Amino acid sequence: MRLPFLLLPFLVLLFLALPAAAQNNTLSGYVRAAATGEALIGATVAIPGAGTGTITNESGFYTLSLPAGSYTLKASYIGYNDFSSNISVTGNQTLNIVLEPASNELQVVEVEALTLRQKLNDTRMSVEKLTTKEAKLLPALFGEVDLIKTLQLKPGVQSGGEGSSGLYVRGGGPDQNLVLLDNALIYNPSHLFGFFSVFNSDAIKSVELYKGGFPAQFGGRLSSVVDVDMTSGNNERIQATGGLGLISSRLTLDGPIVKDKANFLISGRRTYVDVFTRQINRLSEDQPDYNPIPDYYFYDLNGKFNYKLGENDELTLSSYWGRDFFKFKDDDFKFGFDWGNSMASLNWRHKYNDRLYSNTSAGITSYRYTINNEIDIFSFSLSSDIEDYTLKTDFDLFLSGGHSLKFGGSATRHNFTIGRLNFDSEDNSQTFRAGSNLTATEFGAYIADDYQVNAQLSLNYGLRFSGFNNGKTYFALEPRLAAKYNLTENTSLKASYASMMQYVHLVANSGASLPTDIWYPSSDYVKPQRSQQVAAGISQLFGNGKFLFTNEVYYKWMERQIDFRDGANLFVNDDLEAEFLFGKGKSYGNEAYIEKIKGRTTGWIGYTLSWTYRKFDSENPGDVINDGRWFPTRYDRRHDLSIVLLHQLGKRINLTGAFTYGTGNAYSLPVARFAFQDVQGQRASVVPIYSERNGFRLAPNHRLDLGLVLKLNPKRGSSDLTFSVYNAYNRRNPYFVYFDQIEDEDSGQTLKFQAKQVSLFPIIPSVTYNFKF
Amino acid sequence: MKRSLSIYFFLPVFLLATACDLEQDIEVALPEHAPQLVVECYLQQGKTFKLAVTESASYFDDPELPLVPDAEAFITHNGRRIKLTYNPKIGENGTKYYTHSSTEIMQGKPGDIFGLEVFDKKGRKVTGFTKLLPTVSIEEVEWKFNDKEKAYLLTSFQDAPNVNNYYRYVTYIGKTSTKADRDFTLDDDLTDGKRTSIGSAYDYSRNDTIVVSLYHIEKQYYDFLGSVDDAKSANGNPFAQPSKIRSSVQGGIGIFTNLAYHRKTVIIK
Repeated sequence: MRLPFLLLPFLVLLFLALPAAAQNNTLSGYVRAAATGEALIGATVAIPGAGTGTITNESGFYTLSLPAGSYTLKASYIGYNDFSSNISVTGNQTLNIVLEPASNELQVVEVEALTLRQKLNDTRMSVEKLTTKEAKLLPALFGEVDLIKTLQLKPGVQSGGEGSSGLYVRGGGPDQNLVLLDNALIYNPSHLFGFFSVFNSDAIKSVELYKGGFPAQFGGRLSSVVDVDMTSGNNERIQATGGLGLISSRLTLDGPIVKDKANFLISGRRTYVDVFTRQINRLSEDQPDYNPIPDYYFYDLNGKFNYKLGENDELTLSSYWGRDFFKFKDDDFKFGFDWGNSMASLNWRHKYNDRLYSNTSAGITSYRYTINNEIDIFSFSLSSDIEDYTLKTDFDLFLSGGHSLKFGGSATRHNFTIGRLNFDSEDNSQTFRAGSNLTATEFGAYIADDYQVNAQLSLNYGLRFSGFNNGKTYFALEPRLAAKYNLTENTSLKASYASMMQYVHLVANSGASLPTDIWYPSSDYVKPQRSQQVAAGISQLFGNGKFLFTNEVYYKWMERQIDFRDGANLFVNDDLEAEFLFGKGKSYGNEAYIEKIKGRTTGWIGYTLSWTYRKFDSENPGDVINDGRWFPTRYDRRHDLSIVLLHQLGKRINLTGAFTYGTGNAYSLPVARFAFQDVQGQRASVVPIYSERNGFRLAPNHRLDLGLVLKLNPKRGSSDLTFSVYNAYNRRNPYFVYFDQIEDEDSGQTLKFQAKQVSLFPIIPSVTYNFKF
Repeated sequence: MKRSLSIYFFLPVFLLATACDLEQDIEVALPEHAPQLVVECYLQQGKTFKLAVTESASYFDDPELPLVPDAEAFITHNGRRIKLTYNPKIGENGTKYYTHSSTEIMQGKPGDIFGLEVFDKKGRKVTGFTKLLPTVSIEEVEWKFNDKEKAYLLTSFQDAPNVNNYYRYVTYIGKTSTKADRDFTLDDDLTDGKRTSIGSAYDYSRNDTIVVSLYHIEKQYYDFLGSVDDAKSANGNPFAQPSKIRSSVQGGIGIFTNLAYHRKTVIIK
């Protein structure tokens, strides 16, 4: 019913374009970094005079379709000097480009306005890109640079709560984000309540976030693609990068193994709060009321190894290993809780000829948590995990006439262990087992054409065929469509449609990202989630190309969204499916964005106006939420504003500031209470009565973060001091609200009931020392 | 288990919040609340019929006990309708109050069904049913000391196979009128038909008198207790979802059930 309506904008654009199609030649080549030889992924290559341009693919390869003639070609990449060259196109030809690193690292965000023009001309819409170099200039909580959290400053992306690294993209949950690290899936990309993401900034080069208009090679999640790119090792010399921060330290080593042939990178990060808490425990051990502080720490290890087999083949091994540990021990009782992700992926890039490339990878990724409890002779353990084996291959085929085809397929074997419980005693008097193992296969195949119809119009259309088998088999076709039309030299119109399927589901009934959240496959009863999204936008360059204004509207509707029954037991339950509830969702909004990336002062302003709702209705009264009516999700945020400014004060000093404002989270509060005595009357208590789901609003969330990067001048290498002030005006942002019972201290008599708001982070200054040599 | 785990996450957050003075009083405007009847009635073999009828109140109303003097209450059994008269009083142990009672002694056998009707002059009406359950015997209460002279307690009972059973396990140190030492509900999803043991930590000292009670409870009572706990923990836990009260009665809030329990008293020697 809806499809013809959706296709209308594309048909109009196609009609506009038809008379202009002409015979073109192909200009192609690699873009590489001068110092390291590293392929630059996502670099911009453009012919401004012809109004055409592209970005490099995962191999750093680009291709442009041009009529014969003379042109000025420009190439750029954040952190590198621009490249400009006059070329004459007479037929299909190759041009490899080498970019020199920008001389002053603090100028990394100052790149030619060409990038803005490229954004204007890009067929893709709803994409946000961030590099670590940008993120490192911005203020951060506890000084911990976090690309994922920085993405929350972009329009259409909301955080779950104060300090959270969860991404809520256009009304989707954090479980609906496809988080990829070097093309391999990461299931739970956060540490400790989601306050920190698992991505160590030193090991990460950049991140791209797709909010809509998803290219056909991506599938398996409903709401976004978070494509994280790990840094590759230096090809020229061995170097060390690191930092000392308030709560963690980082160290990265990288360099060539065989010059211009093989290089490596290893990177680690570890928090050290536990070092101090252990010391405190040791000092107070002898005191009579000694109560040990539990141990908590996390670490991340990243590794990458590149090996060039020859001119046309390259192997890359990427890996990640991260764990969180929470431990508590006294004489009688031992409690241990650890959780984390691990990933290893081997990529083989092959060039068949100037027109055909492939990228094939085999990988394994897993997420697990384990809780161990020991009381004297009794031991109890609970664990869950998901482990995936994935094989995938992608092909890029550059055809004449402005067509670039991308096609490929993937297959994944999922192994789920759900709520594995073991209870034992040393004398074998008590043993107890529970839990279930499930396996499933997920697959996808796609083809997409990036078609530069003419100087004004480009299309990206594709189809993904996906499926899932877990005893029951599901298939789906997921059409994808994106179009761009240049109305004038400085104005472009864009539109997109994407249908997405999600076959594995996160079992979580809390607002935060808890380590005990587990993944569950689609089955006979649990059907796959589905979403469809349409978006339309306008981009306008102004101020002599210094500013880019983008406005996008979107509407997204989601089917078979998942929630859980009240009081559901999600920990140890051999019939977990019985706790699932299924509903639908919708989200719509408008995102406005102005950015400036040239000059001493750069930055952006993003404003989102949006609505997000869910509805769980059923004929069975036990299966409804909110009496079957629509209700806003916790992160339904009517207004969301972010202003980010970066100013280069001097050659060595950069000043940054980020202000954010968001409508308060929708929240459930009790409306009434009753007195409950229980059998004996000893448990007499006040019981809250809830009515509307998320019927209240917490106070608005706003704060200002300030940062200053001071570049030092060491004899060797480079270093800087990064100062951050989180929540500069010490705003008490609401984390949650509860109703307290105020009692008389002497009589214990209840005097009144009072609403209380709890905040998490006051003003937090921090300093980080970063070095590289 | 779910509750105790969330404490581990929540505790550091709460400590941080209180330590840094990050908690403040705020005003919340609540919508108008139409008070609902609240009933609490536990039938016990050989005891008189007693019932507490109150009303729910808007959260910030003054903390007083909202009695409903015009409420009429009846227990139905085998075609008989027994009237409970309004006569509020505090029970024998001084902590529990009743609003309605009769002098008739409750007599029934497992499988018998009793009904409850409560209505008032505002037209509110609450009804419910309960089916008497057989008691489940505590087979054994054992204990074992560690080298620090602290003992753990192990209570065992036999679960009946092929039926869904629900239990409430309560222990008291000393008299039953003090605060319960342990009090939780369990089902037999994972232990159907098996001899089931409930352990404890090393919490007990020599010569402690421990009263162990095993209630064999109805599913509706199990659900109600769970929803009460969930609702209470949702108020103040940012990670919890709000929970609706799953009453065993229709037309209001509350519980109407029967108490079938076996009790053992042991002295730790």
